[in-house]
Amino acid sequence: MDEKDKKESSESPSNKKIDRRDFLQGLAGVPVLGALAVAAWKQEAYRRAIRSQRAAGSAAPEKEDDLHVALLGVGAQGDVLLNSMLKIPGLRFQAVCDIWSNYNLKRAGNLLRKYGHEVNTYEDYRAMLDREKGLDAVVIATPDFWHAEHTIACLQAGLNVYCEKEMSNTLEDARRMALAAGESGKLLQIGHQRRSNPRYIFSHDVLLKELKLLGRMVTAYGQWNRSAAPDLGWPKRYEIPLATLRKYGYESMHQFCNWRWYKNLGGGPIVDLGSHQIDIFSWFLGVNPKSVMASGGTDYYDKSTHEWYDTVMAIYEYETAEGTVRAHYKTQTTNGSLGYFEQFMGDEGTLVISESANVGSVYREKTKAPMWDRWVRKGYLSEPKLMEMTSEVDMGDALDVRETISPDEHKLTLQFYDAYHKPHLENFFNAVRGREKLNCPAELGYESAVAVLKVNKAVEAKRTLFFDPQEFLV
Amino acid sequence: MKDARLSNWQWISLVVLRMLIGWHFLYEGVAKLLKGNWSAYGFLMESKWIFADLFQWMAQNSTVLSVVNTLNMWGLVLIGLGLILGIFTRIAAGAGVVLILLYYVCNPPFVGLFYSIPTEGSYLFVNKNIVELAALLVLMAIPSEQFAGMDRILYKFLKES
Ligand SMILES: NC(=O)c1ccc[n+]([C@@H]2O[C@H](COP(=O)([O-])OP(=O)(O)OC[C@H]3O[C@@H](n4cnc5c(N)ncnc54)[C@H](O)[C@@H]3O)[C@@H](O)[C@H]2O)c1
Repeated sequence: MDEKDKKESSESPSNKKIDRRDFLQGLAGVPVLGALAVAAWKQEAYRRAIRSQRAAGSAAPEKEDDLHVALLGVGAQGDVLLNSMLKIPGLRFQAVCDIWSNYNLKRAGNLLRKYGHEVNTYEDYRAMLDREKGLDAVVIATPDFWHAEHTIACLQAGLNVYCEKEMSNTLEDARRMALAAGESGKLLQIGHQRRSNPRYIFSHDVLLKELKLLGRMVTAYGQWNRSAAPDLGWPKRYEIPLATLRKYGYESMHQFCNWRWYKNLGGGPIVDLGSHQIDIFSWFLGVNPKSVMASGGTDYYDKSTHEWYDTVMAIYEYETAEGTVRAHYKTQTTNGSLGYFEQFMGDEGTLVISESANVGSVYREKTKAPMWDRWVRKGYLSEPKLMEMTSEVDMGDALDVRETISPDEHKLTLQFYDAYHKPHLENFFNAVRGREKLNCPAELGYESAVAVLKVNKAVEAKRTLFFDPQEFLV
Repeated sequence: MKDARLSNWQWISLVVLRMLIGWHFLYEGVAKLLKGNWSAYGFLMESKWIFADLFQWMAQNSTVLSVVNTLNMWGLVLIGLGLILGIFTRIAAGAGVVLILLYYVCNPPFVGLFYSIPTEGSYLFVNKNIVELAALLVLMAIPSEQFAGMDRILYKFLKES
């Protein structure tokens, strides 16, 4: 920079000495930095406030008619139920029990305390029932083979029980549960939560029963496809001592975490997943099945740690008032494509429904069904998405004229985006308050267990097994 | 600075540009630090184009990922401070260019590439990242820090001593 430049441009730092101007302009960034600091500080304070508001004190102050609730088993599903229940007003959590005392039990207890519920925690459910007075209800989400013992003890202690499906891994135990409910005069709801899902209720009550949209139903199909997954693991720090595991019927941490795959503890995917959907078959068809045949096996995973079948296909026959319906159910755990749904087909239409909130459509069978405009106008169904050739795809000569044009798709207009288990829990608590009837009482849970547990038997027997109508009665 | 005979108005507008970009960098960094569990994982896994394998490898290797996360957060903070205060400004602007270039080639808005993380606008080749990058090039080309910024003091101080 030569002398001349320096003189002309007094704004540039050309003068030899550091002067006042240099200082002022040199530090111009400081106030900007200060402003950012203040703004960021305020922003962070807001964020914290919102977060702590969400976390703490959401529990409304105790009211006279609050229901006092205990949780028994707070693993993966217990956690889901707990989070759903936190959204239901009028519940006061009083106790939590789980044998994984330094892990799941601790986590659930801390969560509830954060929400303002002063809960006591227990490893042994008997200690809980002994010490906790004034409980109205218990929500049980322990592994299937514990359901009977836990449910019966709680019923006998005078509690109303919400017990996760599968009701039990054996029919004898499921029967004992239903009998215990009857004897105690308390309520027993089984966790087939689709029974309370508004979209399912609408499909059954309105579309199938009232409008008879499908015409004469002839076939049904259901599937649950799951991606291959490694066995469940556990943080080594929180391992349960072997002696404790043995006390509760587990041979190892691996078995404790992956109980579903073991005979005598769970029922494998067909019971875990299929039970939800086979329950829908019986519900929507209005009858229990007449027979079942099935094929299944552990085809993919290690047989020693996956005693139950990773792949099962079952075919049921139902004798409905209108005639025979055949239903195919498939579950596999090696590929998750196309997910899970149930489908019912009659000569006038097809219903595809799933717990998954964005799957729910009916397809009009054009050759026979009357127009559905009325139901569209009434708001039951969306405008049809036309499946006829669209201009986008020019099929030209490729289209075989003998091919029937696929039916129009109508979406169900009823949406349900809340937690999937919340309505079923609400139904239970409203029933405890005497305001509603249970959507899945013990007898229904039992019927469902009879239908589902026979699949595993049919796989072993390698032939069609028949149901005696008496079998479905407790 | 031979030809840098700029008017006050021209200098000021450059300084404002520098401080805005600095603010953006600094707060991006600070917000990630405050969040506590921020990770570039999702961004890297979304990577498309020819470097996708590299970026996804970074995301999947937990040691590499934590280094990337730390570098990114603190890089943003330091670049932001440099630009706002006008200290080591050219280095900061240069580092900013490199960082933005990395973001750009990780998920470039090229014809035929679609991302599942929705963007807040519609971009083809040019997105806001690349505009910011170009602005940083301007700041590297014209030393606004010699008008307003701590480098002005530094510069004189070094000259004096
Ligand atoms: N309705 C649904 O959609 C749905 C979904 C998943 C699971 N489930 C059902 O929920 C139940 C639990 O399944 P999960 O996936 O949460 O299993 P999980 O293994 O994750 O959790 C089981 C929990 O029970 C605890 N536990 C085990 N034995 C116990 C005992 N004797 N006393 C007290 N606690 C004990 C374990 O420590 C663990 O925390 C099963 O019956 C399962 O079929 C239902």
